[in-house]
Amino acid sequence: MSAIPLPHADAPAMDRPLTSQDIEQAIPQLGALLPFQGPISSFVFLNPLQGLEDLPFDEAVRLGAEIFGCAPYLSEERYFLKQQQGRITAEELSAVLVRELGPAAQEPVGPRGTRLDFRLRMLTHRMHLGPPEEMAWWIAETDALKRLQQDVPEEIRHDFVRRSRTWILQAGTSWPGWPQADYGTPGDDWSDQLWEQASLACLWKVVLQGVERVELQPARPSRQRRLRDRLEQLTGIDTDLAVHELLIRLCAALTDQGLAGWPLPHREQGLWKAFLALYSEPGWLTRNWLAPIRDNLARLYTGQVTAIDSLRDSLQELGVSSENLVDFLRDSLVPLRGWAGLLWQLETRGDRVAQPVQPGTLLEFLAVRLLLDCQALRTVAAERLNYHGPLSGLWRVPVPPPRNSHSQQLELLGLQVFQAAQWCGWTAGEMLQLTSPQWENLVRELETFQPLERCRIQHLAFETRFREKALNAMTCRAVLPHAQVATPRFQAVFCIDTREESFRRHLEEVCPEAETFGAAGFFGVPIYYKGVVDAHYSTLCPIVIRPQHWIVEDVIYTQEASNRRRTRTRQALGEASHRVQEGTRGLATGALLTGGLGVLASVPLIASVLFPRLTSKIQHQAARLLAPPKGTRLRLERLTEKPGPEGDAIGFSLTEMVNMSERTLRDIGLIRNFAPLVFFVGHGSFCLNNPHKSAYDCGACSGGAGGPNARALASMLNDMRVRLALAERGIEIPHSTTFLGALHNTGEDSISYNELETLSIAQQRNFEFARQQFEETCERNARERCRRFYSAPLDLTPAAALRHVEARTVDLAQTRPEFGNATNAMCYVGRRSRIRGLYLDRRCFQVSYDATTDDLEATILGRILAAVVPVCEGINLLYYFSYIDPQGWGAGTKLPHNVTSLLGVMDGAASDLRGGLPWQGVEIHEPLRLLFVIESQPEAIRKIMARNPAVRQIIANGWVQVALLSPDSPDLLLYEAGSFRPWSPRNAGLSQVDSSWEWFRGQRDNLDFALLNPVREVPHA
Amino acid sequence: MPDLEILIQSLGLVVIVAPSVLLCWLGIPSLLGRPLPESWVHRVVQTVIWTGLLAALAVLGLMLVSDQTHVMVVGRQWVHIPHYHFAFKLVFDRLSVPLVILTFLLCGTIGAFAARYLHRESGFNRFFVLYSVFLLGMTVASLAGTIETLFAGWELVGLSSAFLVAFYHERRGPVANGLHVWSVYRVSDAALLIASVVMHHLSGEGDFDKLIRGEGSWPFGSPTLSVSQATLAGLLLVVAAAGKSALIPFSGWLPRAMEGPTPSSAVFYGALSVHLGAFLMLRVSPLLDASPVTCAVIVVLGLASAAFGALANRVQTDIKSALSFASLTQVGLIFAEIGLGLRYIPLVHILGHACWRTLQFLRAPTVLHDFRQLENAVGGSLAARRQSWEQWIPENWRNWAYRFALERGELDQGLFNWFVNPVRELFIACDRYERLLLQGNPPPQKLGTEPWTRVLEETP
Repeated sequence: MSAIPLPHADAPAMDRPLTSQDIEQAIPQLGALLPFQGPISSFVFLNPLQGLEDLPFDEAVRLGAEIFGCAPYLSEERYFLKQQQGRITAEELSAVLVRELGPAAQEPVGPRGTRLDFRLRMLTHRMHLGPPEEMAWWIAETDALKRLQQDVPEEIRHDFVRRSRTWILQAGTSWPGWPQADYGTPGDDWSDQLWEQASLACLWKVVLQGVERVELQPARPSRQRRLRDRLEQLTGIDTDLAVHELLIRLCAALTDQGLAGWPLPHREQGLWKAFLALYSEPGWLTRNWLAPIRDNLARLYTGQVTAIDSLRDSLQELGVSSENLVDFLRDSLVPLRGWAGLLWQLETRGDRVAQPVQPGTLLEFLAVRLLLDCQALRTVAAERLNYHGPLSGLWRVPVPPPRNSHSQQLELLGLQVFQAAQWCGWTAGEMLQLTSPQWENLVRELETFQPLERCRIQHLAFETRFREKALNAMTCRAVLPHAQVATPRFQAVFCIDTREESFRRHLEEVCPEAETFGAAGFFGVPIYYKGVVDAHYSTLCPIVIRPQHWIVEDVIYTQEASNRRRTRTRQALGEASHRVQEGTRGLATGALLTGGLGVLASVPLIASVLFPRLTSKIQHQAARLLAPPKGTRLRLERLTEKPGPEGDAIGFSLTEMVNMSERTLRDIGLIRNFAPLVFFVGHGSFCLNNPHKSAYDCGACSGGAGGPNARALASMLNDMRVRLALAERGIEIPHSTTFLGALHNTGEDSISYNELETLSIAQQRNFEFARQQFEETCERNARERCRRFYSAPLDLTPAAALRHVEARTVDLAQTRPEFGNATNAMCYVGRRSRIRGLYLDRRCFQVSYDATTDDLEATILGRILAAVVPVCEGINLLYYFSYIDPQGWGAGTKLPHNVTSLLGVMDGAASDLRGGLPWQGVEIHEPLRLLFVIESQPEAIRKIMARNPAVRQIIANGWVQVALLSPDSPDLLLYEAGSFRPWSPRNAGLSQVDSSWEWFRGQRDNLDFALLNPVREVPHA
Repeated sequence: MPDLEILIQSLGLVVIVAPSVLLCWLGIPSLLGRPLPESWVHRVVQTVIWTGLLAALAVLGLMLVSDQTHVMVVGRQWVHIPHYHFAFKLVFDRLSVPLVILTFLLCGTIGAFAARYLHRESGFNRFFVLYSVFLLGMTVASLAGTIETLFAGWELVGLSSAFLVAFYHERRGPVANGLHVWSVYRVSDAALLIASVVMHHLSGEGDFDKLIRGEGSWPFGSPTLSVSQATLAGLLLVVAAAGKSALIPFSGWLPRAMEGPTPSSAVFYGALSVHLGAFLMLRVSPLLDASPVTCAVIVVLGLASAAFGALANRVQTDIKSALSFASLTQVGLIFAEIGLGLRYIPLVHILGHACWRTLQFLRAPTVLHDFRQLENAVGGSLAARRQSWEQWIPENWRNWAYRFALERGELDQGLFNWFVNPVRELFIACDRYERLLLQGNPPPQKLGTEPWTRVLEETP
């Protein structure tokens, strides 16, 4: 899988006949490589290149880009833009080059200077390059041969003209190449501009002569892996268009969860049978590309031929051998990878949808695909090439020679040398002195330092700059004392999400006596959950876990009657509303409804577009009449031995509750010094008109809201039996402490609380205090978020900012209700007290972990990292790749998205299913591999890496960056090339401000780190 | 009441001038390479729409007050010779006023929606320039008093629609589908153009009010043309209307048009331009009154399209295609109503359907949320509760019917087989003979040059 596949230069030799076993074995390998996105309503964040994680990052990115036809890095233009913005500087570029080149950096290139100089100039200047026609125009019609490139610095320009002048006067005019006809004899009256022009004319000639002395590398053969590529080259016709149109409809019909009124016939028999049943029927047109194989399809259908047999026949017809089977199948899946990936997900993780597909669907998809491919190829080959032989023979049909002639190639090469020479200030005289091996060397250098490699270096420099700043901030904060709150008024445990970074910071600014923690947002309680109003269970835990327990929410006994009434009303209204919605799409009912009542629809139409917030308030008021009663509780404890989704089997056993509680408390290091109130705050996002809504929800809850998990944990911890058991295990929770579950709506920045009716009078006062702090925090947090929205003014008051974010979530026309984790760049695992008061600009995941309570084997850290490393890496890299190539890895722009089968989105009328994140969700992202800063010792990490292969693979192959903060000193170690090396700051010092507001006011872009002064004010233990 | 007449006429001019001003205001800076900033575009659009809407409402009010049902605003005569003239003429009557108000109302709503929806999109300015072209086209077409004026508006609508379908021109699908829409529109435009030539030939002018005798205004009055004349012109107009409203056999373009940003799909294909064909039929209703054959054709086409739309809608698995076939169903019914001689009912049907469908299109991205809400309310799976009438299809026909619906009747393929390819071959043959006759040269094997589609690759 990991070797770069060779193109099929010729028809491959048949080494041994394909067997069904070969094919069956290939399927899981292919499935692992496909996009992992299941239903979009439970959005999953995973590394898009998860299937290649066994390779080092750089290698995997290149291979992945090659396989999927995506960009591995940003375009060079974007990096130059970052240089202009100061996000990349020459300092980092140079440092990265030195590290990457080693001793080769000092070798000479060209007439003067080293390889390092040369490459640095290549990285800081934009090479003008294009198709031969464009370049011919560039030379003829622009000032390219008359003026030095605009980005040549002034001193080099000066120097270049001065030295060229000397050379021309001394030797240039007697050089046989001197352009006598254009310039004659240089005189004293020559202007600077004329000197510049003449110097460049000479340089251009010298370069053209020079490159002729170099042997050209043969042009890279174009990548052709499938016969379709070859046929497109031969005829200009893309057979995929017709095949995809059919396949997309078929896959959508197969996977549909209820959007279409009429489900696919024979759906229960699987894709293969359903396809055959439909397409062995005659269409009413006789001239159709599928018409010739109708009889064949009918034969397959009635003959009960299985998908795998047909697939094998197709493969043999295409000339695929067992050797290149996997590569070939992969390349056949890639053009519709979104759909193929969905089929694989529904096949293997069917628990996430109401209507999964049968096992073996991916194989059946391939069988159908290749059957169609073959027929499309046959049709086009016969029509256009009059070719009727076996398909694999198409590889031997001669192709037209490449368009670029030898002289054009030389000129293109010359242009590159010409531009590079200007940046380096090499004159014609100097270049004339070069020997043939030196020319060879120069040209090879240009060829090896191609855009891809240049982008890689730029990217490393970009990452380096951020890393230096982040680690510097960490050190600067670490030398200050711990900000331990001696007697906290209340404690709040948030998700590790980067969005909670600002929330926690503001909460601590608002209330210095508050203490905050970070834990993965399912709080160690993996469940299937069904609320009072929910029709189905939803999965609330990271995608890598399959929950074993089911939890439901019940209305309390005394309000059951009222609940039944309301449920009946909701049901009746729901049925009616469903009828109307279906009706408007029908024939007669549609006529009655649209004709009779249609004009009334203008009222909600105009109201919801022009007054979204008001409309939503009215709707909410109306909905409250039907909402279930407030008093509800979770059915937490089960009565049966085994857990299940029904009746008494719902819930946990007491031991399970104790284990989960203990584990979460120990993970976050909250085992003593309990405040009177401890909040567990899950999070979710609620916004309208957004198929990607779930991407804003909690990543640790598979794209659900983590409120129920927080509530469940709080209820468990309030259970006296659990507390007794915990006390036996060394965690004494005082009687005066109450746990509360809450939900942070990150869209409109509000907090809702559960089960307040259980609070005692004394606790009510405490709660009232905490609630006020939370409310103030919501407003401030909203203001910080608003600075990133271009449509929000920069001078909003906190209250106005809150109104602004509220309006965003209910606006049908709003494509950016929030930015999710778009600013993520680092992850801190350690005690909050060590970084409290650091302004991290919502860029940091924060996991609470107290190294002082861990054992020598780092058991606690091990289990934290086992979850946190893949989860955060997945979030980070999905943003990373979606930003790098929004069309390839990401979902492109949201605006033409079209919800399909209730499972995903297509672009416009029909396209591959779009995985990844939409551009509107990532546009403020900076693609940086996540920088982990872990408060621990190298030995502990090494032990964990040895124990856990998944974590080792991610860290050792460089999918994340890792630094260690010593638990008892401000020293930092950086993990590089397999070892931990001491890191020392290059530019010490960190800005200090009085409050977050002071630092971010009036700013739109990413900010530097800063220290907030209240750090000092916190009384430390 | 000459003063009132003048007031109505000047207000009428405002209705048509407002969209023209918008087009200039957005278009000219774009041509100069200095497009307006987003907030300005938003403000300009709002101002113009409000002006146009208020003027149209004022016209309506004044006409009601003064009990007039037919006000003409005559612009310039383009050509005027005895018994023959081309005129730019607007008419405000029971048909055009409701439609123009609807146009402003929906375009205004969509304008406000799109200003937020397309925020920071690179094609923001392009969208609004096309939007203003569309608005102008719709207003001109709805108010047109002569067939040549209507043709001008009709063209603008077609042009902007095709460009909006191809809005994401960096991808292949939108461009191909935009071209498809454009080609169908060409056929329909050609039919409209021929129809207008025929009308001029028959009566010397293209004024709609001359199609009827006496003083009555729409929809009353008796036709002036003879049955055969009316049938000829009427059938041509039916072809034009069928293309624009995606009736059989042109229906294939409607789902393909869902490539642009959601608001453009909503306002154009769900609400306004898809009804333009039906509007044309209403406008030339005197012709229909005179020609039972045309009416019969319209009824058959309309009902067939409606049935086809209803069937195809059942199997669509993506929300935008489903809505577009739902639109087709209602448009087909509207045609059938018109063919049956009804006038006000189809008009009300157009207005209601346009509003409802726009709302549904705008909510299309929220279908997941809505579906879930409904399931929660109902307390179970909705798919299981569907009533399906497919069970009434005989078992051995069911597969055939499903495939027919899934393949959208293979209408596009049919058009290619029976229309496009023969016409193309005919033209190529003509070209060959022309060259042979004029130059005596053997014709070239291949026509035209191949476009340069490769880009310089950055990655290996």
